[in-house]
Parts: sequence; structure tokens; C-alpha cells
Amino acid sequence: MVETLKIVFSNFQYSILAIGIFVSMLIGLLILSEFIFIEPYFIAHIPQGTEFGFSLIVILSGLSALVLPMNIYRINILKNSKGKMGGSVFGSFIGAAAGACSCGPVGFAIISTFGSVGATSMAFLTNYEIPIRIAAIGLLALTYYATVKSLKVECKLKPR
Amino acid sequence: MKKKGVIIGAIVAIITIGLIATYSSSTETVNLDMGRTHGDVSTAMGSPILGDPSAPITIVEFGDFQCHACYNWFHTHKPAIYEDYIATGKANLVFVDLAFLGRDSPIASQAAYCAEDQERYWDYHDLLYNSQEPKIDNGWANSESLKNFAFSLGLDMDLFESCLDSGKYSKRVQYNVSEAKKHNARATPTFIIVGPDDQQEQFQGGQPYSTFKKIMDNMI
Repeated sequence: MVETLKIVFSNFQYSILAIGIFVSMLIGLLILSEFIFIEPYFIAHIPQGTEFGFSLIVILSGLSALVLPMNIYRINILKNSKGKMGGSVFGSFIGAAAGACSCGPVGFAIISTFGSVGATSMAFLTNYEIPIRIAAIGLLALTYYATVKSLKVECKLKPR
Repeated sequence: MKKKGVIIGAIVAIITIGLIATYSSSTETVNLDMGRTHGDVSTAMGSPILGDPSAPITIVEFGDFQCHACYNWFHTHKPAIYEDYIATGKANLVFVDLAFLGRDSPIASQAAYCAEDQERYWDYHDLLYNSQEPKIDNGWANSESLKNFAFSLGLDMDLFESCLDSGKYSKRVQYNVSEAKKHNARATPTFIIVGPDDQQEQFQGGQPYSTFKKIMDNMI
């Protein structure tokens, strides 16, 4: 597993990509979930009782930052199928969507635009925010496992 | 002559009863100040003022009773703001409904105004935020639950139920939502802090005490 990670992230471009994904996803989700405010002043805080939600955001961002570059590596370097890429993008997207609190501007825009359908979907994302995030983390973990396994095999078959 | 007096008496009684009935069903019994504004925000249809009405600073909160961020702010940051600014007469607070999250949101807002009819708006407001459940529209704020909350506060249930069932304050809530949208409130809670010279600072989210302190200390 460590070897596979070394193969991918020894390439400077993939390390930069992973850092970029982690930072942008973490900051974006923390702003959406109101752990960070940028106006009128920059303030970061973790309200009491929201520590678990905060931890899930960090895990989700970390896993996305690992899995997405690994799958891009598979596509670019090994010219392999794009099948596993779907799982990582889907996991990241679903996990991120679950963080978009319906109280926030995103929820307001969706509800205002799509009416009751938008309200129902936002209510679902808000009501099941934690389980959806856990499911997204599970999906990313599975994709990570499958990617590492296939990279091991493929790298052995097609050594560079 | 006696017969004539009875007829006149009956007519006067009928007119009086008619006037009372009309008046009680169509007029809000609260002291609405239709010209009440804070900065450029019309708060005429909003909540009663929490704190000293003549305080130099007014915090206008656009909120939804089903909003989790409002719930977090209510429990985590509002108590310190109340203690340091509202209770000391430095600031007051008005709640204006931006009830958009679910089908029960506008009804919850209307119920709070029905409680205002019995001069218990803030008790009812606080009870709703103390009773909020994590799931939107799961029934915790439906009509039946709202009546149970009123009962637990010891409100006159005949008055409360007739107020809620008649939708007496639905237009008031709609007005508040349109006022919120007019001021570009696109999230709950959104705050507008209005200072003594009508200077305004608007921001989104259930921001911590330190944000309010910085803004208000600069205004005083």
C-alpha cells in the first residue's frame, strides 16, 4: 500500500494536485458548514456538539485528496479504464453535497429556484447529513482500496 | 313607547355584537407600529423588540425556526450577546421571519405571533428553539406540535388555536420574508446590525460572539 502511494505521489504534479484538492475541499466544506466565516471578519470556530461533523469533513477531504489523484494517475499513466474514477468523484461529490446546509446560501438558491422539489432535496441532504457523509467516506475508502489493489497488479504487469 | 325602546335597544345590541365580532376576527390585537424601521429595514411586522427599545444598537435577525444554524447560534452565542449587550441596554434585538426551509416553517412563525397576542412571543420563540429537532418537517413544528407548545406555556388555547387555524398572521410572515429578500438575506440566520447613526453592517451565518462584539463596540 505504501509502495503504491509512493509510486503515485513521488510525482510532484500528483502531490500538488492532492494538496490542492485537500485544501480547496476542506476550506469549501468548512465555509458551507459554517465552521469558517470570511465576512465581515475571518473567523474559524467549532461550536459545541459539531465536533463529529467537523471530523467527517476532514476525513472526507483527506480521502478525496488521496483517491482522486490516484485515479487520475491510473488514467494518465497506465491508460486504463475510467471505471474507478466514477466512484471517487461520486463519493467526493455526495460527501460535499451533504455538507451544504439548507440554511445556507446554496440551500436558499436551490429552494428559491426549484420550489418544493428543491426544498425536499435540501431537507433530505440536511436531515441525513451525517449518514450521507459516512456513506461517502465508505465509498471513498472502498474506491481507495480497489485503486491500490489494481495499481499494484497493473504496475507489476506494466512496470515503468 | 316601551316597544320602540326595546327595538332600538335590540338594534344597538346587534350592531355592537357585530362590531366586536368583526373587530376581533380581522384586526391584530398587538400594538403593531406600522412605521417601525431600523436603519432601512422595515421591522413593523417583525417580532416585538427584545430589550430596551431605545437602545442605541439594534440587531435584526432574519431567521427560520427550523434552521439548524439559527439553533446553534441561539444556544451557543446569543446568551453572551444577551447578557453583555441586550440586558445592559446597549442593544436590542428584533426577529424577522425568513421562513423558507420547509412547509412547517411559516406555520411556526405564525404560531409565535399568535403567542404574541397573549404577550408571550419571546417565551414561545425560545421554546421553539429549545424544542427544535434535527430533521426538517418531521412533525416537530406542525400545527399539532405548535399547539402543544402553546399549551405547555399555559396560553389561552381557544385564542391560540383560533389564531393559528385561521392563518391570521400568514400575511405578516409573508411580508417579513419579502422584507428579508429585499435586503438580500439569502441564508438563515442573516443579521443586520444597525448603529446609533443608522450605520448598518450585514452578514450571514450564525457567527460567534466575537463578530458581534467587534461590530457593536465599533458602533458605540
